[in-house]
Amino acid sequence: MAVEDKYISYRIYLVAFAIFLMAIAIAVKLTNIQWVEGDYYRKLAKERTVKNFVIPANKGNIYSADGSLLATSIPNYEIRFDAVAPKAEAFEKNVKSLSDSLASALGRPSNFFENELRKARANKNRYYLVARKLSYTQYSKIKSFPLFNLGAYKGGIIIEQETVREHPIGKIAERTVGYERTSHGGALDGKGIEWAFRKYLNGKDGKILKQKIAKGQWKPIRDINEVDPQDGYDVISTIDVYVQDIAHHALLKQLELYEADHGCVVVMETKTGHVKAISNLGRANDGTYYETTNYAVAESHEPGSTYKLADLMALLEDKKADTSTVYDSKGGVVVYSGKKVNDSHKGGYGKISLARGFELSSNTVLVQAVYNAYKNEPSKFVNHLNNFGLNKTLGLSIKGEGVPYIPQPSDKNWSNISLPWMAFGYGVHITPLQTLAFYNAVANDGEMVKPQFVSEIKEWNRTIKKYEKEVLNPRICSPETILKLQAVLANVVKKGTGSKLYSKDFSMAGKTGTAQVNYGKSGRSGMYYASSFVGYFPADKPMYSCIVVVHRPNTALNNFYGADVAGPVFKRIAQKIFTDAPSTNEIKNLNRKIAKQENNYDSYFVKSEKKLQLIPNVKGMSGMDAVALLENLGVKVRAIGVGKVKKQSLAAGQNIVKNTTILLELS
Amino acid sequence: MIANTQRFEQKVFQIAELTNQVKELRSEFVDRRSELMKLKMESTVSEKMIEKEIFPSTVPPIKIKVKKEEEKSFFKKIWQ
Repeated sequence: MAVEDKYISYRIYLVAFAIFLMAIAIAVKLTNIQWVEGDYYRKLAKERTVKNFVIPANKGNIYSADGSLLATSIPNYEIRFDAVAPKAEAFEKNVKSLSDSLASALGRPSNFFENELRKARANKNRYYLVARKLSYTQYSKIKSFPLFNLGAYKGGIIIEQETVREHPIGKIAERTVGYERTSHGGALDGKGIEWAFRKYLNGKDGKILKQKIAKGQWKPIRDINEVDPQDGYDVISTIDVYVQDIAHHALLKQLELYEADHGCVVVMETKTGHVKAISNLGRANDGTYYETTNYAVAESHEPGSTYKLADLMALLEDKKADTSTVYDSKGGVVVYSGKKVNDSHKGGYGKISLARGFELSSNTVLVQAVYNAYKNEPSKFVNHLNNFGLNKTLGLSIKGEGVPYIPQPSDKNWSNISLPWMAFGYGVHITPLQTLAFYNAVANDGEMVKPQFVSEIKEWNRTIKKYEKEVLNPRICSPETILKLQAVLANVVKKGTGSKLYSKDFSMAGKTGTAQVNYGKSGRSGMYYASSFVGYFPADKPMYSCIVVVHRPNTALNNFYGADVAGPVFKRIAQKIFTDAPSTNEIKNLNRKIAKQENNYDSYFVKSEKKLQLIPNVKGMSGMDAVALLENLGVKVRAIGVGKVKKQSLAAGQNIVKNTTILLELS
Repeated sequence: MIANTQRFEQKVFQIAELTNQVKELRSEFVDRRSELMKLKMESTVSEKMIEKEIFPSTVPPIKIKVKKEEEKSFFKKIWQ
């Protein structure tokens, strides 16, 4: 035996020592993990299984005045396809019919989808994009298509959801309702009511701590949220969708008819300044119209003739002239510093009163009136304009309001023609909404109110904030002046430039305007017209005021004037509002007998009671009676026209043959 | 304890499912409502009516209100 016992025990010691070393190493490592690096690992473990979740606050809705939804948040869907998930036979069986269905739903050829789907499968693409930004209806349709209806594991459909802002009434008033978005730089930006009232709409996000459980779900650790989310408030706008609809489509019709560049229309409630409708349409390259810019709010331009109301107001206030003061239109041309002021009617209007000059929108009459009265003290006239609020913004809640401009006599660029040019609306700038606010002040008996887009902020049924009417100027001029101006404005529609709009059914008052724009630049070649109409209705008891401006109408037909282009939009809106309120007739006695009617009825009754054997003479009988009488005899009746029977095709006294047709001519 | 946790987790799954359902239903509601809004607009209706040659009225409807004469009660007749 070569090995001695001594060596065996050495060997055992050696192995035991090695094991002991290992045990020490493990203990050291354990100690290290548990105590030295312990905090780090405990934190890591917690992060993996416990997470702070943001509970997004629900954004408030925007409602119209009549309670329709203008903007709300809803999820929209994105559908992707895991091309590896379906089994080969399921894929082959369904790919054709799936492509056909997708083609009909998404408007692309069927073989396009088939190729794409096959390619995705060949490339083992597990995340192929089928369609995005789908509404619920589209999404639920696509979900039910062959293959996709097998579900995520067998059919490979992947559904992703995202919350977006939706406008249920579509493109109507889109710009005024507005939006809020994150720009490329990450800063928030927006337009319209959405942006102006974001403070109320957005609410505050909450927080909750959750722990990971099976199926990729997380469970809340505590019963209560760490921070409770606060939902956004609802904003009730002043827009009435029915008036808005009419305004939008009436404007669209005129823009399309005149192939105009852009236009806007605003309808405002006279007493409160609530904007009932606001539509801004601009022409795209393909000739269709979109809400692109809020022209009514933002576009400050030379108004032309609609500015003449301010002339009249100033002249009457200073008693420099009266509506009956007579001016000579001097053949339609007057000259100041070598520059001509022309009337649109060649040859002028002869000698007419100031009021008549306004009704016919005579540039020469109004310019002379203003120039003669204020040539020595132009600052007095300009101060009037300033006091009427024509040089100030209205301080609207939505951003982007255009700044009006009136040259001041103290300015460097004030010239000899500043005053006369101002008198017919040139050299001054004003936005459509500012012009409207001014005309509305006349309609509202001198009280100028601020146009408002929002009437209330609400949380469910609880009112958070109410926007009362805001008076900008309680009295812009004396009541006598207002009465005169109201009469003149009504006459514009009765017998002036707006006479084409006159309707015997309802009254309107207003002023036409046809301004030249860009006349100074590029040798008049860039010149175009801006036709407008601003006024209120009904003329005697104003309820709504309205402005319509159409830029660059087609002048080929030579009817680019305010009354032709903008007027019909105004009239359509007035008509809509007028026909919406039924007129009421009260009568006391239902049983009143009218001799003639009784007579008619009795004679018919006698005839209808008789058992007739022959075709009766129905000439002179009212159509309604004749039809009833003849049909009861078993003849078929065809009637042409309305009124009383003039002619019957089967003569009286003929035998009655059932189902023959008798032709009645009525008139 | 384990059974309790299980039940709690079942509830969480159920809530997740219901939330999704709520979202879908809301989405459907807005979709349908927006369809309805478009259909009931006067411009849509009047466009559809053009082929039937029915146009928007230029005069408002007239409401005829019949005032019923109050029947005087026996007592009122006595004291009149």
